[in-house]
Amino acid sequence: MIGKGSLPVFIAGKLLKVVFTVWIVTTLIFFLIRLMPSNPIERYIQSLVVQYGMTYEESSARASALFAIDLEANLFSQYLDYLSGAIRLDFGTSFLSPGVPVTAIIAARLPWTLFTVGMGLLFAFALGIVLGALAAYRRDAWWEPVVSGTSSFLSAVPDFLIAIFLILLFGVFTWGGRGSIVPIFQLRGNYGPGVTPGWNWAFLRSVWGHGFVPILTYFFSQIGIWVLLMKGSTTSCLNSDYATIARARGLRPEKILRSYIGRNAMLPIATEFAMRLGFILGGSLIIEQLFVYQGLGLELLKATSNRDYPLMQAIFLVMTVAIVLSNLFAELLYGVLDPRIRQEGKGPHG
Amino acid sequence: MMSTVYGTDQENLLEIRNLSIRYRTRRGELRAVEDATLLVKPGESVAIIGESGSGKTTLISAIVRMLPLNARLATGTMRYRTAADSLVHLDTATEREMRPLRWKEIVMVFQASQSSFNPVSRIYTQFLDTARAHNPAARTSDVMDRSRKLLELVALDGEKVLHSFPHELSGGMKQRTLIALGLLLEPRLIILDEPTTALDLLTQKKILKILRSLRDQYRFGMVFVTHDLGIVSRLADRVVVMYAGSIVEDAPWEEFYQDPKHPYSQGLIRAVPKLTTAIEKLYSIPGTTPDLVEKIQGCPFAPRCPFRMEICTRENPPLLPVALGRSAACHLLKEDSSESTP
Ligand SMILES: Nc1ncnc2c1ncn2[C@@H]1O[C@H](COP(=O)(O)OP(=O)(O)O)[C@@H](O)[C@H]1O
Ligand SMILES: [Mg+2]
Repeated sequence: MIGKGSLPVFIAGKLLKVVFTVWIVTTLIFFLIRLMPSNPIERYIQSLVVQYGMTYEESSARASALFAIDLEANLFSQYLDYLSGAIRLDFGTSFLSPGVPVTAIIAARLPWTLFTVGMGLLFAFALGIVLGALAAYRRDAWWEPVVSGTSSFLSAVPDFLIAIFLILLFGVFTWGGRGSIVPIFQLRGNYGPGVTPGWNWAFLRSVWGHGFVPILTYFFSQIGIWVLLMKGSTTSCLNSDYATIARARGLRPEKILRSYIGRNAMLPIATEFAMRLGFILGGSLIIEQLFVYQGLGLELLKATSNRDYPLMQAIFLVMTVAIVLSNLFAELLYGVLDPRIRQEGKGPHG
Repeated sequence: MMSTVYGTDQENLLEIRNLSIRYRTRRGELRAVEDATLLVKPGESVAIIGESGSGKTTLISAIVRMLPLNARLATGTMRYRTAADSLVHLDTATEREMRPLRWKEIVMVFQASQSSFNPVSRIYTQFLDTARAHNPAARTSDVMDRSRKLLELVALDGEKVLHSFPHELSGGMKQRTLIALGLLLEPRLIILDEPTTALDLLTQKKILKILRSLRDQYRFGMVFVTHDLGIVSRLADRVVVMYAGSIVEDAPWEEFYQDPKHPYSQGLIRAVPKLTTAIEKLYSIPGTTPDLVEKIQGCPFAPRCPFRMEICTRENPPLLPVALGRSAACHLLKEDSSESTP
């Protein structure tokens, strides 16, 4: 175990690393998005010209009245402004929805993404480790190649293809003249038009109805990899000396599977899970677009096409923080689960 | 001349007769053990020697029925006499019937036991797990006391080791811990596969000393595989020589060392100038061991044998008595067993 005296130092060191990483990444993002061709005002003018048939001059006038930003200002002073705001957790207001703080937009969108991607990941993880462990344990069973083959296939298929397939399967194909399984309108948006958000039955049912297929998409795009990871991990533990010796000691197979194989096989898997938690937010872009699901991913796409710098920055920051924190969590978790890591840096005895 | 391979005035602890073990491989069935007969008396210690791949590990793993999944027992019987004096047919026992015997009656310490312990739990849980597997009512404090005592017997700091994680122990400490764990349930037969390989010389010596004193104290039967004739000389009552899956000689150690009967044994002993040299390094008989997937015509050692006769390439010599308490499988000895060397 980490010595009592060094624990705060250890934690502080880790946190410092987190802060440093986040700072580097946000800085990169800040400059990179400004290096992208076009800028918010140009984008706005373009949209007015295209959508409303205004002349370029009219549009420009309207745009400069609307945007209270000075894109000509020195880039570095803009950066300092951004940084000093960010330290106070003030990320500014959206360009495109003037006056609305980007934190409010994120707070409104984040739960939807967490809900769908999180559920998908959770179900995929739970079922994946069970199937993976079984496939390893019963590698002579007839269904083992089926499970492993399907998993390899699923892990290789891009998630948007899975989404398109599920949309076709549930929303487009008619089954024996009965219509589609899920009404097509349910495959767009977060909930139906007639319901009031809140803790009421109609709303929750509508949320579930609309979230179901996206969740299924995340589930199928994740399950393969969990089955394969767990199968590999369990197989190596099954063949380990300690499992063999446990059997030679007359322990029951259930006991061996639980205390000897299961616990060791879960070590790398739990860490992997903790790490993937961080990618929950980043993995939702294309899927949310396909389902017109108003989550963080779709918001990022919109913000990007409008070059809504403050919103883009804030969403990227949230995604970065999620990844960095989940990596830290994974590292700490491994330390808790594995005594060999826990005692790292200490002498051979203690 | 005796009618059986050994005199059986004393009841045997373990009787393996005509055992053949095959592995299913891509190329066909591999004959890892052919027609092996091995008897062990209570308290007796038997060393198995022979080149790598001669079937030693396969033979001893079969005793506790812990063979790899692609192995099958083709012929033969294995019987074990329990402490309660009942005869168990090991060759036909189910996994459920084997479980109470394992570690309680027969301890099998596999080779390369550097990772024998569950890396995520402390040593004492593995002692407790073992005790509880055979006696669910075992009291924690009793098991801990006994474990501590056994660990001290193998010259370890019992309290400290029990509360350690496996990775905190050195290779030699782990091996000694495993031996202590082996004695936890007072087994009557301990099987060890190359117990000192992969340990440094000093640790080897220590382990050897410990095994000797434990055997004298607890009087368990012992079957062990080794490449080290030094260990054989200090630990074994009898030595069994394996070649290409067959037992080619079986003799009391002293007599064997003075006068090996089988040409292969003679090659082994002559190749080893000192008892401290490993067999593997000095093995000098020209030629290589036969492919075990092919059906061997005649004596498996014939192609390398300096005394090969015409009959040797046609018929495989059975293991037969060549002197009191000794047997060997060689046509030379069968022809004229009054002569001591071929
Ligand atoms: N699981 C297995 N599958 C196929 N062949 C095996 C297996 N285990 C061992 N063998 C083969 O069986 C023979 C005997 O092996 P083994 O009993 O390990 O010999 P030893 O312990 O004397 O070195 C060797 O030819 C080896 O290659
Ligand atoms: Mg071996």
